[in-house]
Amino acid sequence: MRNDYKIILDLIPQNSKVLDIGCSDGELISLLAEKNISAQGVELNQEKVISCLGKGLDVIHGDINLIVEDFPYNQFDYCILTQTIQAVQKPDVLLNTLKKVSKNIIVGFNNSARLSKIIKFFLSGSYDSLLKKSNSDQWYNTDYIHPCSIKDFKKLSLDLNFKVVSTYDVINAVQFNNGKIPSNLFCKEVLFHLTNE
Amino acid sequence: MRKITNNSDYPGFLLSCEEDLLLDSGKSINQFQIAYQTYGLLNSNKDNAILICHALTGDQFPAEESPITKKKGWWDLMVGPNKPIDTNKYFVICSNVLGGCVGTTGPNDINPKTSKIYGLDFPTITIRDMVKVQKILIDELGIEKLRSVIGGSMGAMQVLQWSATYPDFVKSIVCIAGSLKHSAQNIAFDEAGRQSIMLDPNWHQGRYLEINQKPENGLSVARMIAHITYLSEKAFQNKFGRNLQEKKNLSFGFGIDFQVESYLRHQGRSFVDRFDANSYLYMTRAMDYFDVSEEITNNQKKIIDNEIRFLVLSFTSDWLFPTKESREIVSLLNSIGSNVSFAEVVSDRGHDSFLLDEPQFFRVCEGFLKGIK
Repeated sequence: MRNDYKIILDLIPQNSKVLDIGCSDGELISLLAEKNISAQGVELNQEKVISCLGKGLDVIHGDINLIVEDFPYNQFDYCILTQTIQAVQKPDVLLNTLKKVSKNIIVGFNNSARLSKIIKFFLSGSYDSLLKKSNSDQWYNTDYIHPCSIKDFKKLSLDLNFKVVSTYDVINAVQFNNGKIPSNLFCKEVLFHLTNE
Repeated sequence: MRKITNNSDYPGFLLSCEEDLLLDSGKSINQFQIAYQTYGLLNSNKDNAILICHALTGDQFPAEESPITKKKGWWDLMVGPNKPIDTNKYFVICSNVLGGCVGTTGPNDINPKTSKIYGLDFPTITIRDMVKVQKILIDELGIEKLRSVIGGSMGAMQVLQWSATYPDFVKSIVCIAGSLKHSAQNIAFDEAGRQSIMLDPNWHQGRYLEINQKPENGLSVARMIAHITYLSEKAFQNKFGRNLQEKKNLSFGFGIDFQVESYLRHQGRSFVDRFDANSYLYMTRAMDYFDVSEEITNNQKKIIDNEIRFLVLSFTSDWLFPTKESREIVSLLNSIGSNVSFAEVVSDRGHDSFLLDEPQFFRVCEGFLKGIK
């Protein structure tokens, strides 16, 4: 199981209502369902939507940037964005809207400013090294249009008046409380638990 | 008293009911019959039944050869052995709607009170009335819970109505190219169609059958108007462009010059042979009156308690029931906390896409049904 999923499964209490944005083929939703947590997915790729439906999962087909306004306010306890926020058109606008839809927001992403990336960038002189998710991604065709660091995201969270409940170094499964964050230089993958309260 | 017999006019069955059917209008029908067809076998648990609700001009023959048109049924691509709605697995029921003209009681039937054809004495009906009649049929078949209720267009209205009025009796709903309520534009198109029928001198205030006439021109123009709304600009362009019909030069007259004109006239003419003008009036009116939002909200608890799963589907080029309206359905269903899925299928063939060969669409439906346990 993916490390970030493990953390999310521990974090979300039973009987919660969850919205998983960018749910892919519904792996996390299925895992949540086993814990008696009902989750709905949002997915842009139609093949993945079909795959979710075949598993009996609830999934909304569409681009979250365009459909987030369709979700009723205060409908969810948790909203999850793993490996998605950097591909969103306007992360600040989306998070602000999701604040009204869900009490808690969990955001997981890869730290674009970690030392290994910076060194690669420095040595190669190519922006691709910062953006790259898969090998075919180049600066001009990547979906990952908003690379950001852990520091960057914490600043955005506070600017948007979220409370940072906790953060996690995903790879090492270490939790940070009281506004602390994993090392901006060394942590590869981070998870933020935000709340609007 | 209710009785099921073989239908003597068409293949399939007839449920005859000797009882009053109270309608939304406050009026009632004294006795009525429901013409229906089934495909596949009902299992011993009676939990594999799927009800298909047909659209405005559909009938109870979605699969196999249609006895009406002698062509493949209107949803033969969707319904049959090893098809998305697999009749090897499911027991599929489809009935002609109340007010229809293919065997279920409608305005072209005899009014038992007067022994004359109803005509405009037939009470105005609603989508809820249509569904009420379907529910009677399902009760008579001894089915306590439908695996799914599936329909497109006017059929989509019926399936939403099912979830709102009889939430205890459905496991899942597939709502294709539909809306929570008929839009102003759609009411406008319906009105143009109705006026076309009622202004035909052969309509005779709806009493045309008594004098053995038919408002053929009016019904045919109504169909032509409606047919334009079922396609898309691109579908017309791809199919016909500005191609001329069996000629090289413009005629400088008002005959058929363009292929698209020939096509539309053909659509109009062939429709007259298989459809009743008064039925068209009653059914379009039922669609105009449709607005199910409040009833869904009011029945929130039952919809949630029964864990009804909804699949809402739309097509990118549908401008009669655009994606925006399907999203409104999803939004409402989300707001009451129900289990809802949504998919938008890319197609440039307009509203009619749901009747055409759209593999993605089929796979979405098949996948969803597979997930219903």
